[in-house]
Amino acid sequence: MAERVFNLPDLGEGLGEAEIVGWKVAEGDEVELNQPLVEVNTAKAVVEIPSPFAGKIVTLHGAAGDVVEVGRPLVTIDVEAAVGEVGPPGVISPAEAASDGVQAAAERTEARAEEAAERPKREAVLVGYGVDAEEGRPSRRPRLQAPGTGRVGPRAAGAGRVGASPVVRRLARELGVDLADVEGSGPGGRVTREDIERAAQEGLGTAAGAEETSPSRPSGAEERIPVRGIRRLVAQKMTRAWAEVPMVTTFRGVDATHVDALRAELSQDAGKKISPLAIVVRALVEVCGDHPKLNSWFDAEAHEIVLMRSCHVGIATDTERGLMVPVVRDAGEKGVLTLADEIAELVSTARAGRATPDQLSGSTITVTNVGSFGSQYGTPIVNFPEAAILALGVVEPRALVVEGQIEARHAVTLSLTFDHRVLDGAEAGRAMTALQELLESPFRLGALPRR
Amino acid sequence: MPEVTMVQALNEALRFAMGEDDRVLVLGEDVGKLGGVFRITDRIQAEFGEARVFDTPLAESAIAGVSLGLAMAGWRPVAEMQFDAFSYPALDQVISHVAKYRFRSVGAVDVPVVIRIPCGGGIGAAEHHSESPEAYYVHTSGLKVAIPSTPLDAFNLLVRSIRDPDPVIFLEPKSRYWSKESGELSPDGLPFGRARTVREGSHATLVAWGGMVARCLQAANAAAEDGVEVEVLDLRTLVPLDIEGLANAARKTGRIVVVHEAPMTAGFGAEVVARIVEDAFEYLEAPVLRVTGYDIPYPPAKVEEHYLPSVDRILIALEKVLSF
Amino acid sequence: MIRTKPDDALQILAPDGTVVDPQARQALDLGDEDLRAMYRAMLVTRAVDLEATALQRQGELAVYPPVLGQEAAQIGSAYALGEEDFVFPSYREVGVAVVRGIDLVEYMHFHRGTRHGGIADPLGSHFAEISVPVSSQVLHAVGWALGARLDGKNACAVVYFGDGATSQGDFHEGCNFAGVLRCPVVFFCQNNQWAISVPVQKQTAAPIWKKAEAYGFPGVRVDGNDVLAVYKVSREAVARAREERVPTLIEAVTYRMGPHSTADDASRYRSREDVDSWQAFDPLERFRRLLESEGLLDPGFLNRAEADAGAEAAKVRAGIQGAQPRPLEGFFDHTFSEMPDFLARQREEVVRLTTEEGEGA
Repeated sequence: MAERVFNLPDLGEGLGEAEIVGWKVAEGDEVELNQPLVEVNTAKAVVEIPSPFAGKIVTLHGAAGDVVEVGRPLVTIDVEAAVGEVGPPGVISPAEAASDGVQAAAERTEARAEEAAERPKREAVLVGYGVDAEEGRPSRRPRLQAPGTGRVGPRAAGAGRVGASPVVRRLARELGVDLADVEGSGPGGRVTREDIERAAQEGLGTAAGAEETSPSRPSGAEERIPVRGIRRLVAQKMTRAWAEVPMVTTFRGVDATHVDALRAELSQDAGKKISPLAIVVRALVEVCGDHPKLNSWFDAEAHEIVLMRSCHVGIATDTERGLMVPVVRDAGEKGVLTLADEIAELVSTARAGRATPDQLSGSTITVTNVGSFGSQYGTPIVNFPEAAILALGVVEPRALVVEGQIEARHAVTLSLTFDHRVLDGAEAGRAMTALQELLESPFRLGALPRR
Repeated sequence: MPEVTMVQALNEALRFAMGEDDRVLVLGEDVGKLGGVFRITDRIQAEFGEARVFDTPLAESAIAGVSLGLAMAGWRPVAEMQFDAFSYPALDQVISHVAKYRFRSVGAVDVPVVIRIPCGGGIGAAEHHSESPEAYYVHTSGLKVAIPSTPLDAFNLLVRSIRDPDPVIFLEPKSRYWSKESGELSPDGLPFGRARTVREGSHATLVAWGGMVARCLQAANAAAEDGVEVEVLDLRTLVPLDIEGLANAARKTGRIVVVHEAPMTAGFGAEVVARIVEDAFEYLEAPVLRVTGYDIPYPPAKVEEHYLPSVDRILIALEKVLSF
Repeated sequence: MIRTKPDDALQILAPDGTVVDPQARQALDLGDEDLRAMYRAMLVTRAVDLEATALQRQGELAVYPPVLGQEAAQIGSAYALGEEDFVFPSYREVGVAVVRGIDLVEYMHFHRGTRHGGIADPLGSHFAEISVPVSSQVLHAVGWALGARLDGKNACAVVYFGDGATSQGDFHEGCNFAGVLRCPVVFFCQNNQWAISVPVQKQTAAPIWKKAEAYGFPGVRVDGNDVLAVYKVSREAVARAREERVPTLIEAVTYRMGPHSTADDASRYRSREDVDSWQAFDPLERFRRLLESEGLLDPGFLNRAEADAGAEAAKVRAGIQGAQPRPLEGFFDHTFSEMPDFLARQREEVVRLTTEEGEGA
């Protein structure tokens, strides 16, 4: 049996459905190509639909009086006997494929058709789309956030909206001045450039406005490097984090013997090098379960700590364009090997400059592997507005005291920088203890999911 | 340096183009013996013959449609529409075919058709003789739209239009027909898609095209008396539009006023404003304002001076953006 | 009320296939092979036309305007043309396309909605892009004819349009222009009695062919379902255009047996009887009888011709079924001869949104 389903096409320039008037064939009948199958009544006319295939009628999808939506199955035909006479729909003839761009388009269209097929709604038709308001939604839409509700977006708009020209808003943003804090001296209370500059001088600003007003710039020959693109964004975000978040860093030396052993074992199993980063990320996610404030952010406007139910781990990544933080989504649902693969993939995508905005946003906690460039430990700045960032130093043999004896063992220093508004030192310390215990326990490490 | 009027410059441009390419034809109403109602084609028929320069029946749709057919036969027709509002009967041909033929033929057919249209008011003309139809053409994908403001650029742009493999709507500001300029006529001026800074200034920018460029210069000179330096930007071609030039102007002064004769609503000024807002938003010190004809049909000639953007209206707008 | 011949119309073959004008029949410069080729082209046209209608019902074409019943008008006129002559079609000229050797798959891309125009190489094939705005193509033909005249070419333009088109300004402007400027053009009107739902009687108060007199050139009415008569008047008009630079308006009286298009419902405005009465005037049947009587339809030829027709239809089906459009960004490339920046920007967006590179995670 080679069954082909014939979906009701759009019979008249944008029609959405048709009513079956009467079948001219019955299930089990043999039909020829273009033999009349059925008469249907559209909003415009009664038309006869000829069979697109030769074969045997398997199923009539509907009875006289039924209304069939465009794109829904009308009839199923077993075309076995007639294979070869009719090319499969959706496939381009070789001559067509040879013309420029057609192949690519076909692949794309097929990919979209597959995408569409996953949706249960209704099947794609080749010509005629019918009327369906629900489809046609863009499939590559970014996630939107209302102003003010965003974690890094501008402050909430509201009754107290402040008037200012675009150029003044830019200046305020650069100097870290919140327009709402400034008394406007312009017409109608509009904030002017002078108002912003005065406010920055008066200390209302949070950013490097000091540079503008500092009396003692370094002097002498200089070279100026324009800060653009990602570097500029990173600079702004860092400045904001530094200015707004009271953060502290705590350190923890960890015996990495078992981490290293697990790493070696996994590497052997996977046939490729697995970095300790994936193990630490997986362990951190475990710890977040018991210490949810690690995986949270401080909503200063609402005066609320927002605990995040999912754990999306940002991986601080050094790229030619500057610091990027691709995100492993739902890390709690993934095993160490999966995480290792995903991290490797994300990092290389980010480095190649191909990461999408989606891949670069939405983290709830961040990990930075300062050990990858040899550092023993770091004092990272939180990935604003997240509450915590964990730095992983180099894993190397160190002299550890084990049961009273000095022993050379693999060790690593972990640093946790956290928002002091969210966590206090004791809580952070407890979380680090939990993390240390996990990483030093061969049993618990072994119990971490692999895939 | 010789001094030429825009009429002479356009006439010379036609002669230059016909001389360098014997596929160039001139057709339209009264373009032969009379030399056109504005004398743009003066003596061209005598010079190039009745085969290459000919009067057509009084039928603008035919002039446009036949021009497309001539282009398909390998000619480069330069068609004249006698007056702005007389180009409207040809809109169907221009929109449905002239603009689309290259596209519809997937690039197989060049459409080197130039349609010259005297445009704009300010000359005390009869009804239907003072329209500014640029928005209709600009909104039609596939057309280029050029509109010179000076004699020398008129020569340069018309020769470039005739050489262009795409259809060009060539709008000629009637109010500037008899303006004079000294210099060599040359087709080596600025290309399509590049605006020209007519006057430098640092405090605000006036953006205009065609007949309003001169009006903006008058306004800028008046502003200079108050110590305000106003830049004047002549767009020259509306399609392709110098988007980068507009953004640069916005970055430079942050205060922009767009001036055109056509009515305000959905006029080309709206496009200029939108491009600036899209590309240079954070450099704006003030809203981008428009000084335009009003949203009424073009009024009788005796009141057109109050309808067209005046120096006073431009200065009022400048004052608004400067004091914002 | 259908008579055996439209008033004032030239006819060579009666509806039953008998020769009513033996002198004209003898004078035709058509050999046996020409007659067979014409019949074959009519068969191909009908098969492709029916296939296209079926393909629309099966969702493969977006919309299709059937030519059913007008085969003689199209094949007869197109067969009268030389290679150098240039055809300016409306949107219902598949029969002309068959005679002119136009790639029918490419042609059907127009109706599938995969490309505009429908003609890959209009300048090379001397067959202009399909034209939908009614009668607008008349002016292009006049312009091309004028250009050919200026070049001293021995060629003419032939423009196809319907009875409804004669109400349009462009038709009048084109005829007038061609008359005044002596453009070598043939205005070929297929009066198929219907402009969608409006009968020709509501389109014009005077016979179409008589309008030519006002433009200063000959007009002629011909039985549009008589392929030989159509050929004869077309041949004469083409010669007049080429040799004398005098246009001709031909009114070929025929009948649109199908709906205006596959999106139309003709039963809302005309009776079954009206349509059925025209069955007796079927152009293929009429011509077949003549060929039979002249002994030109041996079974070998007939089988071959019918097989050819079926093969052409199958070729159209195979070529068009599932065919994909060029990607949208490709259409940016041919809006202007070179890509202006503002279009390049928009094109980039299309590429970003439709290709893998832009695919969100």
